[in-house]
Amino acid sequence: MNKDNDILKWFNGEISTEEIKTMYPNEDFSQLEKASFYSKQFEVPRIDAQKALADFKTRSFKKDEPKVIPLNYKTFLRVAAVLVVMLTSSYFLFFNATKSYSTDIAETTTFILPDDSEVILNAKSQLSFNKKDWKQDRTLTLDGEAFFKVTKGEKFTVNTDAGSIQVLGTQFNVKERDNYFEVKCYEGSVRVSYNGTASVLKPGKSIRVVNGEVSSVEDFTAQNPAWLNKESSFTNVPLWQVIDELQLQYDIKITVAKDVNTSELFSGSFTHNNKNVALQAVTIPLKLSYKINGNNVEFYNYEAN
Amino acid sequence: MASPKSKLCEEAHFNAFYLEHIQAVNNFAYYKCGDKATSLDLVQDAFSKIWENCSKIDFSKAKTYLFTTVNNLFLNMVRHQKVVLTYAKASPYLDKTNQNPEYLLEEEEFKKKLQAVISDLSEEQREVFLLNRIEDKKYREIADMLDISQKTVEKRMSGALKILREKLDNQNI
Repeated sequence: MNKDNDILKWFNGEISTEEIKTMYPNEDFSQLEKASFYSKQFEVPRIDAQKALADFKTRSFKKDEPKVIPLNYKTFLRVAAVLVVMLTSSYFLFFNATKSYSTDIAETTTFILPDDSEVILNAKSQLSFNKKDWKQDRTLTLDGEAFFKVTKGEKFTVNTDAGSIQVLGTQFNVKERDNYFEVKCYEGSVRVSYNGTASVLKPGKSIRVVNGEVSSVEDFTAQNPAWLNKESSFTNVPLWQVIDELQLQYDIKITVAKDVNTSELFSGSFTHNNKNVALQAVTIPLKLSYKINGNNVEFYNYEAN
Repeated sequence: MASPKSKLCEEAHFNAFYLEHIQAVNNFAYYKCGDKATSLDLVQDAFSKIWENCSKIDFSKAKTYLFTTVNNLFLNMVRHQKVVLTYAKASPYLDKTNQNPEYLLEEEEFKKKLQAVISDLSEEQREVFLLNRIEDKKYREIADMLDISQKTVEKRMSGALKILREKLDNQNI
């Protein structure tokens, strides 16, 4: 095999003819030497390169010329616009972390916020917050009435149209209805900002704003808002607010006869379970009577009749 | 614009490429088919393929592509004739000083035998052998040209030499 390799090297010009002869003195290389010599003499057709090229150029080619399509800016812009719209809308669809809860008339719902704070939402209320930023910023927006049991942590803020409430970790109730804003503190302390003035509530204290005017409220001793027990409780609350609440808890429309004073203050409570009992609970202490006509209820002064 | 890929599509570059390689690739084709007209046809076909696909071919690979294409085109031909190469006229003998008629006759005999043996080589063995002999190409260069390994070239050359030795020795007896 070595000899074959050396012969290969010889033909590759790595070993000269003399060398291979001295390496294998007993071997006859004359035939290969001759073959090597004469095989060089084979004639190869000479090509006239220029002429061949000229001939070549006369050929017809099936050349796929790359097509030049002018960049259509209008189409480009159209596509870009669609993309931008899609991206932004998908951003708001998929990355918008705003979470919101809402309740309808005569409905309450309970849910837990990401930090384990508990929220109970009363009828016809809406609450929303940013889930993504919740860790850094515990801020909610409330429209309606809700009871909060806040776990201790960073500042917890509830924004309403009427004012904002800031706490660290307490239990409190916020009621924000048309022309009516009330915050009750059940535990810890609550800081209420209303109309640029801030006040701090201690347990058992509450703040109430009716028609834009702060009204004094007696201390309360209840541990939980009455509505959690399917009751609405009022202390010196104008009748119109009680009527509003009735309308929210029972899907009814209440009208009031002309001679009824809706500013009259009402103290008491009504149940959420029985419409007639509730209506009586409101009307009897105020010396009123009522008529039910389908979903419509009319309050009137029975003494006048 | 002058990326190496599209370079071949520029006529000046293509022409230079053509002129540079036409002879070598034609020789290669000739060793394969042994016919002057056929080999030139093969080569021209191969060049047209390159011109037609110029945008897809990397300039640095174009030479290999050229030889590979010739090889493929050759394999696609239906009939392969026997390759009988002719000697150049007025070529010298190994021993130039020896003008003994007997010697000259012997050498002519040998040349005929050699011609026959080379005709009998396989097409791969022949092309490697002739590239090495006629064009003085090293195995490495042949391997690069045909896009095969040097080992393969050596194997083919070795096979060619073995056949040469056997047949030339035999016929000599």
